[in-house]
Amino acid sequence: MVAIFARSTYLQYVALFQWATIRGYVGYKVLLPVTQILFFVQLGVFGSGRSKALYFALGNALQVTAQAGIYGVIATVANERQHGTLPMLLASPANRLVTFLSRAAVNVIDGIVTVVVGLSITVVVFGLDLRHANLLLLAFCVVLISMTTAGLGLLFGALGLITRDAITIANVVYYLLLILCGINFPITRLPGVVQAISYGLPLTRGVEAAREVAAGASLRQISGLLAGELLVGIAYALCGYGVFRLLEAYSRRGGLQEAF
Amino acid sequence: MRLRVVSPFAVLAWLFFPAIFTVVGLYVLSGPGTATPQLAYAILGGGLLGYWDIAYLDGGMSIQNERWSGTLEQIFAVPTPLWVIILGKVCGSLLWGLLSFLPTIAIAYLGFHALLPHVDAARFTISFAILSLSFLAVAVMLTPLFTLWRWALPMLNGFEMGFYILCGFMFPVTLLPTWAQGAGALLAPTWAIRAIYASTTNQGPHDFGIWWGATVGLTVIYVIGALFLYRLIERRARISGGLALA
Repeated sequence: MVAIFARSTYLQYVALFQWATIRGYVGYKVLLPVTQILFFVQLGVFGSGRSKALYFALGNALQVTAQAGIYGVIATVANERQHGTLPMLLASPANRLVTFLSRAAVNVIDGIVTVVVGLSITVVVFGLDLRHANLLLLAFCVVLISMTTAGLGLLFGALGLITRDAITIANVVYYLLLILCGINFPITRLPGVVQAISYGLPLTRGVEAAREVAAGASLRQISGLLAGELLVGIAYALCGYGVFRLLEAYSRRGGLQEAF
Repeated sequence: MRLRVVSPFAVLAWLFFPAIFTVVGLYVLSGPGTATPQLAYAILGGGLLGYWDIAYLDGGMSIQNERWSGTLEQIFAVPTPLWVIILGKVCGSLLWGLLSFLPTIAIAYLGFHALLPHVDAARFTISFAILSLSFLAVAVMLTPLFTLWRWALPMLNGFEMGFYILCGFMFPVTLLPTWAQGAGALLAPTWAIRAIYASTTNQGPHDFGIWWGATVGLTVIYVIGALFLYRLIERRARISGGLALA
């Protein structure tokens, strides 16, 4: 089982991970996240002053993990369709859970690398002070958020089984997180109903926890937030798996796997 | 234009992305005691971003789609010059991009009760027309790169927000470090955007003549650069034979 998982993860990376070329990787995985963080930090500095730069830097650095977790995971299913291999994947006897989770594994690692690069550059450019932060705990928050956003990606990635526009869905989900998860402003400023949605999403508690860690909070102080983040991520991953199985059968009946 | 009506990406570009950036901008820039000129950056900024995105990337995406559809080689082989075909695509994109201002103004008004401040209509209109001209020149210059280099899309797409920063789409470029302001000054839209925002306030410098002149001057340089680029690309494409490579 472990060997299948490892092999599937590796093959998924070399075959489907379209940023595998250096230039593509630099474009999508370095330039895009770094400039996104810098843009929103600068916007925040314009709106709230330089003292708030860390707030925006942390929020946006953690949000870019969703780039790997959501775009990456959704794109892998969408790419199977585009490359014409989706029917073969679904016809194979491979364990669906292993196949499905291996698609998220690379993206989790990739999301972590993205945050480290993006946050490091932002800290240097804006001279941010992380002296009070427990960096190990902050790193744990990053890992956790990468996994929980991949859970959300798994759920929406399953939609790639029945629709040709999965990447459009990825765009919508990714950018909505900018508003809903307290990335650039507190979610208390959102209308009440929208706040309820916010707490049902990954990132929201994770970003809040990371900000508290940066301000000097201990593990005990943020354990509730981290537990909530983990539960939300697991819920989305399980839900994603269920939807994947459901839509797999549905797409087979309707011959939707080959729609291009 | 007709292709864009059925393209989900085109709808995202004019409707969804500008709306998202406007909402974030309004939340970030409309805190208690916020100055009115800052609101202009949130309301107009989202629309300008959408307009730029479509001008900047949509023409290139359409070339990439020609490649994926296997029709790019035919485009090079037809008697119509490449620049004419690309100009048509870019003009269609720009017209489509104008729609970006509808969701941003609607969201600002209906969701946040925010209105554009007093606008100097004449200067705003001239600045906007010059901005459109600069977008056209940038798009015409960049789009052929997509025909020759497949990596142009990820690189230019990846630096999309870099242009938001350097051109001052949602905040003044004067906030940036000097080196970044220098880089931004080489981009024609930077000057036109500065003029647009200046036309929404009585505060700050109002050097419209200089800003318009800088935009037009840089636009002319881009067009001259594009002429050389098109010749180079027509030649290189035939030598490399890589147009059909997806």
